[in-house]
Amino acid sequence: MASDSSPANFNSGPSSPDDSFSSPIPDTSSPAHRRRRGRRQATTPSAAAVTPPSNPSRFANSASTPTPSRSTRRGRRPATTSPTPPAAATPSSTDDFPPPSSDGGDDMEEATPTFVWGTNISVQDVKNAIQMFIKHFRDPQELSNDIYGEGKYTRMIHRVLEVEGEWIDVDAHDVFNYDSDLYNKMMRYPLEVLAIFDIVLMDIVSLINPLFDKHVQVRIHNLKSSTSMRNLNPSDIEKMVSLKGMIIRCSSIIPEIREAVFRCIVCGYHSDPVVVDRGRMTEPTSCLKQECMTKNSMTLVHNRCRFADKQVVRLQETPDEIPEGGTPHTVSLLMHDKLVDAGKPGDRVEVTGIYRAMSVRLGPTQRTVKSLFKACLLLAFARMTAEDPMETDKGSQRIDDDVQFDEDKVDKLKELSKQPDIYEKLTRSLAPNIWELDDVKRGLLCQLFGGNALKLPSDASFRGDINILLVGDPGTSKSQLLQYIHKLAPRGIYTSGRGSSAVGLTAYVAKDPETGETVLESGALVLSDRGICCIDEFDKMSDNARSMLHEVMEQQTVSIAKAGIIASLNARTSVLACANPSGSRYNPRLSVIDNIHLPPTLLSRFDLIYLILDKADEQTDRRLAKHIVSLHFEDTEIAEHDVIDLATLTSYVSYARKNINPKLSDEAAEELTRGYVEMRKRGNFPGSSKKVITATPRQIESLIRLSEALARTRFSEWVEMRDVTEAFRLLEVAMQQSATDHSTAARNIIMDKLQLGGPSIRLLELLDELKKQSSGSEIHLHDLRTAVATLASEGFVALHGDSVKRI
Amino acid sequence: MGGPPYDCMSNPLGAVRLTFEKAIGLGSETLTHPSAFDGKDWGALELFRHFLFQESGLSQVPILNPKTLRWVQHNCLVRYRGMIQDMLGNEFYVGAYREEGCSWRTNKFTDVSQYAMESPSDTCIWERRLLYCVPVPGQSSWTVLSCDMDPKWSSQSREKRRRMNDEDEVPMDLAPEDEVKRSPITKKMRENEPPASSEPMDLKTASMSTIQFVDKDNLPCLVKIYDSPESDLKLNDVFEFIGVLTFYSELAVEKDENDELSNILYDDARVHLPPNKVPRLHCLVHRKLAVHDFLLGSPIMEPKPHLVKEIREALFRHLTVVLGNDGVAAHFMLLHLLSKVHTRVDDVAVGKLSLNLTGLSKESVSVFGTRLSQAFKNLLPFTNCMPLTLEYLNTASLAPKKDYQTNRLIPGVLQLPEGSHLMVDETQLESGSLNSIGIDNVKLLKNLIEFQKVEYDFQYYKVEMAADVQLLIFSEGKSNIVPADLIVPFQPSSLESSEIPVGEALEAWRWYLATVRSLPHSIGSEMQKVVEDDLVAARQADRSLGSRDFSRWLTMARLISSSLGETSLTLEHWQMVKEMERLRKERLK
Repeated sequence: MASDSSPANFNSGPSSPDDSFSSPIPDTSSPAHRRRRGRRQATTPSAAAVTPPSNPSRFANSASTPTPSRSTRRGRRPATTSPTPPAAATPSSTDDFPPPSSDGGDDMEEATPTFVWGTNISVQDVKNAIQMFIKHFRDPQELSNDIYGEGKYTRMIHRVLEVEGEWIDVDAHDVFNYDSDLYNKMMRYPLEVLAIFDIVLMDIVSLINPLFDKHVQVRIHNLKSSTSMRNLNPSDIEKMVSLKGMIIRCSSIIPEIREAVFRCIVCGYHSDPVVVDRGRMTEPTSCLKQECMTKNSMTLVHNRCRFADKQVVRLQETPDEIPEGGTPHTVSLLMHDKLVDAGKPGDRVEVTGIYRAMSVRLGPTQRTVKSLFKACLLLAFARMTAEDPMETDKGSQRIDDDVQFDEDKVDKLKELSKQPDIYEKLTRSLAPNIWELDDVKRGLLCQLFGGNALKLPSDASFRGDINILLVGDPGTSKSQLLQYIHKLAPRGIYTSGRGSSAVGLTAYVAKDPETGETVLESGALVLSDRGICCIDEFDKMSDNARSMLHEVMEQQTVSIAKAGIIASLNARTSVLACANPSGSRYNPRLSVIDNIHLPPTLLSRFDLIYLILDKADEQTDRRLAKHIVSLHFEDTEIAEHDVIDLATLTSYVSYARKNINPKLSDEAAEELTRGYVEMRKRGNFPGSSKKVITATPRQIESLIRLSEALARTRFSEWVEMRDVTEAFRLLEVAMQQSATDHSTAARNIIMDKLQLGGPSIRLLELLDELKKQSSGSEIHLHDLRTAVATLASEGFVALHGDSVKRI
Repeated sequence: MGGPPYDCMSNPLGAVRLTFEKAIGLGSETLTHPSAFDGKDWGALELFRHFLFQESGLSQVPILNPKTLRWVQHNCLVRYRGMIQDMLGNEFYVGAYREEGCSWRTNKFTDVSQYAMESPSDTCIWERRLLYCVPVPGQSSWTVLSCDMDPKWSSQSREKRRRMNDEDEVPMDLAPEDEVKRSPITKKMRENEPPASSEPMDLKTASMSTIQFVDKDNLPCLVKIYDSPESDLKLNDVFEFIGVLTFYSELAVEKDENDELSNILYDDARVHLPPNKVPRLHCLVHRKLAVHDFLLGSPIMEPKPHLVKEIREALFRHLTVVLGNDGVAAHFMLLHLLSKVHTRVDDVAVGKLSLNLTGLSKESVSVFGTRLSQAFKNLLPFTNCMPLTLEYLNTASLAPKKDYQTNRLIPGVLQLPEGSHLMVDETQLESGSLNSIGIDNVKLLKNLIEFQKVEYDFQYYKVEMAADVQLLIFSEGKSNIVPADLIVPFQPSSLESSEIPVGEALEAWRWYLATVRSLPHSIGSEMQKVVEDDLVAARQADRSLGSRDFSRWLTMARLISSSLGETSLTLEHWQMVKEMERLRKERLK
């Protein structure tokens, strides 16, 4: 039905450009006015009203019909002003033209140039331009080494011939770079220009290999600009447009007739194949055999007809393009041949095609056209776009992943990254309505950016994802932070520990009810591969489910071995968990470990553990009060200035994750080593073997990840000294809040002080000692007592009244 | 002949055509090409606005509902009040066309061109938007305009129309160049019009044949919007559309013959909303409706404090009686009824005040629930009830869902317009297990009450839509499924039923509720200081208080001062808030 996709009439020898797009429809009932309008009117396969009523085929529905924009165009550009096509203007040429069939003739050789209808675009010029383009266009990148070689597209044609392909993909950027005029013509008159393009291709093909009998078509992709579905309007009709969207529905494949063969039921004479031209074909009204000539005797011979695949697909706007308070728009796509089944529902695609309008009929049998039009996009090209903005895997199958970031945007992001206070600014912009918790936010920021995943040739891999655990009192907006991160992260699953089971998190094997086959269903962690998995109420999770996390959080895989399936699934996800302390509120009388109440094996897998305590601080309260009052009464103050909006933040993070892969500089590496050794020493005190977080090799990995993430926040390719310092600080802050509180400090000192088998010491003496050692923070007697009590219960010391003795 | 040469009421298209002809300069030397309009208005709207609002023609325009649909005429002016339930995208149509040798004609504001468009030599394609509108869910009966005038009006108008037709002929004589275009329509109209003698029967059969409704109370309408920016009309908004009514049975697509292909191509309105079930309205003028627009004939009063206080007192008394003499609950109820979302900051919807009445059993709900629901129906424009049973949770579709087979948004219970009231009765809930639908539904309810947002299910992704729904929950203990802002143990002391309020009082209360809700509000810097100090002190005293509690207090403070007709917070109001909180706390113990 489209001239660009059904140039079947080229078969009949060297054809002229006119054939393809303006061969007059051998119309049985051509009314006078059509004639008057000149033969080129046929280009726009005119009004369905001219369809012979005798032929109410079911294709009538899909028949592409008058595209009155053309008429509009004529109206805007009055025929008198432009050097109008003489051919179109002279009725004689129409009459001279043999009406039946498209035998072509040497129309092209006419002295008068032929024009695209209604314009002053010469067909010959366009043809020459295309020939020049195909022959001479060279990819700028390969220009240097191969000046005398063939052009990019000539080579492509050869390749297509070798593999017996059916189309050639032409990058519209190439056309633009070579001949912007041709590009513009192609955009505005795609039907005609593409038809000419096809003819030129056929000419070239037949020069190379005269026996090649397939039609090679051109497919345009990668237009200079793409339209938003919402902005498609009547002025886009008959133009080439490019859209992005999501496929929501595909029809089944419909066979569409391309060449029909008729047989006379009286004499059995078989007609020549009748070519379908733009969705319509002319049924012979009488037998063509001279001896027979019976009227209305021809019937279609299905077996000898040629059919092509066709599919109607609905494309819907992507969610981010829907304005507030609106519902998504949709557009129908017509896919032909190879494009059929190019995508399935749910896929995000970018399509290039010609926007057309079809008139709506009252009924299939009625010929009256009412004033309605149904728009659809006639597809020239479709391709999947990278579905996942967080994609970091360079070797993935997805077609280029830079599509999301046009140059403008990248420049803007880079501009942003150059600001000296970008780190602070990003911190501020993260969940701006949640107060304080700046260090927690910094940690979350690092998690968003992530470190570099490393895979050694020996197949050992180091994760780049940063895991964070938030432990805190109820009502300290942990869940809000989680929600916020979930919203910000391009991919991720939000789940609650209470409602998650081990298999729900990882993967489970299910039996397909129909086939009885066992199938693997992904759980939350697998689904958030390359994203962030947010687990709320981590403490409420069953131990069994939690133990499943061990593998995921370090090896980043999920292994399954059950019901005949042994598999290892990727789960390269960052885990952000939040938990309440055991006993729901933080109990200062217990140690942190007891408060968190999670196995140390799991705890050590978290890079950062934050303890968010609700401290009775008047200053904080006042700020909260102020904030809430302003929320309710003053609209102006809420608008936090100097904050990056969510959309920019998301693209900033995605860009950094995708394009920035920082490496450690020498001095940074040195600093890391030094700092780690120191930390290791600090944690290495006697008696700390049990339930105390010390520096482990995991920590240095964490540090590397954190400093890489910090470098990414600046779009820096190198991890610098300051990143490492900040990483240490972040770790320290997190550790300080969790690992070292008073009773732990007390405990350490007790163990220091008391010699094995030495004399017993009175508690008060110990307290004095403690106060001396830990300047700054206040230590109370009850801290000491708790520490001693724990130690006693562990069997390190014995407590007799007021004196302590090491056993 | 006085009066304009057209009748906006019965022949709006004639008026449109006249302005069109004027705009393209018919009769004058220079013809303007219609493409210059690009589908935009050429002056017709001005004419109708003038007619509707200056000449107060609005009240004469019949309201489209199942009752009036019996007698309203095809191609005449009607108005329709409804909620935008779905947007069906844009539609291209031949906006203007010209036959060989004829002048330009327009198809704007009509489905089918009035003349057979055999082979236009020149056409302009314009676009229009399609909105699928339904009557507002839970609309109270008092908001529906009474149709008592219809028989009188119809006969009158018919007479009038006939007269107008006669008149019509006169200017045509005066303007001969009009004749060609005008005569068919007058002829057509006369054909449409049944002869006077056989009028009742003809009318009946005519309407029977054109429109067959499945649901008598529920008349959807497909509104076609011409000249208005997209941002004007949003999903779930309640609008009044005034425009040209069309219903063509012939436009229906015969389904049987249409295979999947045409189905997917034309899956829009025409297949799934056959014109004989859903009338089309070509919108000329539309306006967003606020509660005020539903108040009938009540004088627009200045919200003067003393007047407001009087009404408030009366309403409070009424609520107290309805609530079985529970004054505390009535206080909270009043504030609850006045609440609305003022602003949104990130996820926080400021101004909402959902109420949970606890201590209700199945039995007491049947008494007070029905009473309250009756009271609300009298007071509020849109009220809805939701019996929260296990079965309901597991089966109901609360969120609207996109059906890609029909390309329609299937409405859900929670697709409610701004300012709706929703009563959730949790007392009937029994223990049992929720299935996946139930879990989704619980999540939806929770999101609605916490963030005033509903996630619409678009199958491949979800879209969050902002909502503004007042939620009232009945439960035995504190509801965990729908955690409300305010939890008030309900302690009725009497069961005597309330007297039915008289019409005038009801009018005043409705007016009060509508007006006070939208009063502006501010806080002085001194008062701000006092409030802040109080909050800090409260938090120092009780660590369990969080931002939610503070937020609630401030909302209450705002509502209390608004309910008294004041626009700024005073110390007195703040003290009242604290006192109310104290009373509530006492009950909670």
